[in-house]
Amino acid sequence: MDPYYLALTTVTLAAIYGLLALGISIIWSSLGMINLAQGFTFAVSGYGAWLVAQYLSNNGVAVVAGGVLTGALTGALIGGIAFIPLYDKPNFPLRSLIATLGISLFGGQCLLWIFGPRVKALPKIFGYGNIHIGPAVASYDKIGSIVCSAILLLLTLGWMKSSRRGLEIRAMMQNPEGAALVGVGLRSTAMAVMMVTGAMAGLASVLLSQTYFISPFAGVTPLVKGMVVALAGGLGSVAGALIAAVLIGFIEAITAVSLGGQYVLITQFLFIIAILLVRPRGIAGMIEHTRE
Amino acid sequence: MTAPTESTPQAIVGRRRIVPALRGHGGASWHRWRYPLTRRTPLLIETDYNRTTLAAERRILNPRPVLWTVALLILSFAPPLFGDNSFVAASTNFAMYSAINVIWMLTIGTAGIFSLASLATVGVGAFGTAYLSVYFGFPFWAMWLVGPLFGLVFGIFIAVPAIRLEGFYYALLTVGIAELCRVYVIQSKTLGAAAYGLFGADGFVPKGMPEHEGLVIGYYAAFVLLLLALTLYRAINGQRLGRLLRAAPEKHEAFAEALGINYRLARIQVFLISSAALGGVGGFYATLLHGASPSLFTMDQLLLLLAMIVIGGIGTTEGAVLGTLIVTLFDKVFIDLGPVRLILIAGIMLITVLFLRGGIFGIPDQFAAWRAKRQSERRGLQSGKGGEIMPEDAIEIADKQSIAVRRFDARLKEELRGLISDALIEEHRTTHGKRRSDPLERVLTFFRRQAVADKYAILAVKAFAEYRIVALSGRRGVPPRVVDDQVFATPEDALHGVFVKRVQDLMES
Repeated sequence: MDPYYLALTTVTLAAIYGLLALGISIIWSSLGMINLAQGFTFAVSGYGAWLVAQYLSNNGVAVVAGGVLTGALTGALIGGIAFIPLYDKPNFPLRSLIATLGISLFGGQCLLWIFGPRVKALPKIFGYGNIHIGPAVASYDKIGSIVCSAILLLLTLGWMKSSRRGLEIRAMMQNPEGAALVGVGLRSTAMAVMMVTGAMAGLASVLLSQTYFISPFAGVTPLVKGMVVALAGGLGSVAGALIAAVLIGFIEAITAVSLGGQYVLITQFLFIIAILLVRPRGIAGMIEHTRE
Repeated sequence: MTAPTESTPQAIVGRRRIVPALRGHGGASWHRWRYPLTRRTPLLIETDYNRTTLAAERRILNPRPVLWTVALLILSFAPPLFGDNSFVAASTNFAMYSAINVIWMLTIGTAGIFSLASLATVGVGAFGTAYLSVYFGFPFWAMWLVGPLFGLVFGIFIAVPAIRLEGFYYALLTVGIAELCRVYVIQSKTLGAAAYGLFGADGFVPKGMPEHEGLVIGYYAAFVLLLLALTLYRAINGQRLGRLLRAAPEKHEAFAEALGINYRLARIQVFLISSAALGGVGGFYATLLHGASPSLFTMDQLLLLLAMIVIGGIGTTEGAVLGTLIVTLFDKVFIDLGPVRLILIAGIMLITVLFLRGGIFGIPDQFAAWRAKRQSERRGLQSGKGGEIMPEDAIEIADKQSIAVRRFDARLKEELRGLISDALIEEHRTTHGKRRSDPLERVLTFFRRQAVADKYAILAVKAFAEYRIVALSGRRGVPPRVVDDQVFATPEDALHGVFVKRVQDLMES
């Protein structure tokens, strides 16, 4: 077993899972909504990037920008349908969860209807070839994925730490009612959160599409993985999501190398169930009362 | 005896519950149907006399059992009789998915565990029994018997996290478990990865039977399955376990625990029972379709199942069955529409969840709540009508005469208040036993007409020396109460004291 290969795969997977899990986690903690339409955002962004590559330009930056932009717009759409009309209604958490599931059913079938069941492939935006870092060999894909997601993650975290909007989002995470009382607009903040997390999903989609194909239901597996990573890390915790992303990426890499690809999900789930049995709120999850 | 209510009002104002009145009652009205071996009655019948026509009438206060009976009767003969082959097949699907949803409702509604692994449990039962049938030659009845075992084992496996996890954490985990099952089945060679499903299991329809007859037998088997599921729901939800869990709803668990209810054990019991039942449905699925396909584990199937219970209304069996009917109708009967039909289903689901609190069967409650809100808003605008009754209050008062009396009293008091003056009071003091003026007589007539309860009277503490004012209780055996500490020397003074008190009351009212 090559430890360098293992480390590289772990970091690649962790970067992509981190993007997905962080989105779900931030939405849950700031909006109190579980966004199961993140998989739909993922699929739509793939198609957005594909449309850009097909009709506008094959340039890597343009393709990534197309995916990220589509993701942000889809996030805003989901927020407009599932959050804005429901957030002050009774039984909001369950109804918004069902609404996001409805959106993903609706959207998946629309994609199937518009684009047909045939899968699409994105151009290789990072080119072909390998790079040698000391004793390790890495393809451009992996390096590109790691760098891109690291940049977006750092940008997002920095934005949340230092900007006015980020302060509002963090205030809403701690106490939505108090935030509303001191003049944070719940709707506008929620839409900002939805757009940022949508952009994250869009980038993850473009990056994963370097390896996999784009199809109407391509978002299901990334959604499930992002979701369980967020769950294991603790819903609402940024640090927890990142730790869990690294751990689960490592489990996936080591299982794929030592046991075989078909056992990946099983070992992941056993790991997650074990974590949740010991710590029901995840590795670094908030206590439920904090959010309320 | 005439027909009781021929003129049922058409334009309904306010909060009237319309219950159709049945003709007559008598000895039969004391007869009660009972569920066997219990004292529960299916129908609550109210007997009454019509106020207008005095005709005897009966009202069924809970029409639900009647509607259920009618619906199940229609289901028992209509689809095989009137439908073609594809319609019968769709009806079979409807009955089977209704059974799944009714059992799932036990987990979500009764046990309060938001598990999304119901279809996965069915899939495990189906794949397990199909595996035994294909590789070990199990006949169909043995598959039906073994199915619940698979469901139970799978239920125990997924119940372990349910002990610790709450609400949405568990919901998310079960979505993941369903995906795990799907990936495992697709990759496993023994479970038919190549053929996209494991087929070749034994079926309960005898071989060599014509197609239509085979489908009809399948339909009736699924219908019996639905009846069994409804019986199970009633046996769990309406009996001891259900009652225990109703005392321990979400966020009131500590209270239930203080009462000595082991709600965790009860929840896990209900969860395991429904898992076993879902495994049984899985065994039935495998015998119906001669195998199992991995589509049982897909997210889309799960979403369709969720759409069924959301559209009908989470928490009720009739909601589950109606939702299943609507979704199956779109999914299987309008199959020519292609992907558009699933878009339509998703659209209905979205509209339901955005605008309705409890699905289609929650509409009456939601409408009543909305109307009550509007009424109270309107009542707030119409304040200050001095003792009169608003039209929307009036419909809740059975004796309409009292409404007129109160209105008359209010207007009379208004008029009498204008007559009171110092001169009038002085006249009352000086004209005892003599002829009095018309305004004073009017006031006195109104005072004398008052009801006995709280009417003032004079108590002679010492005859011709000490008199006090008391108020009558109006009830036999309850003595009058002393009103204040005024003492009068003569009965005439006491009478005037009573008059002054009445005038005070009139002016204050």
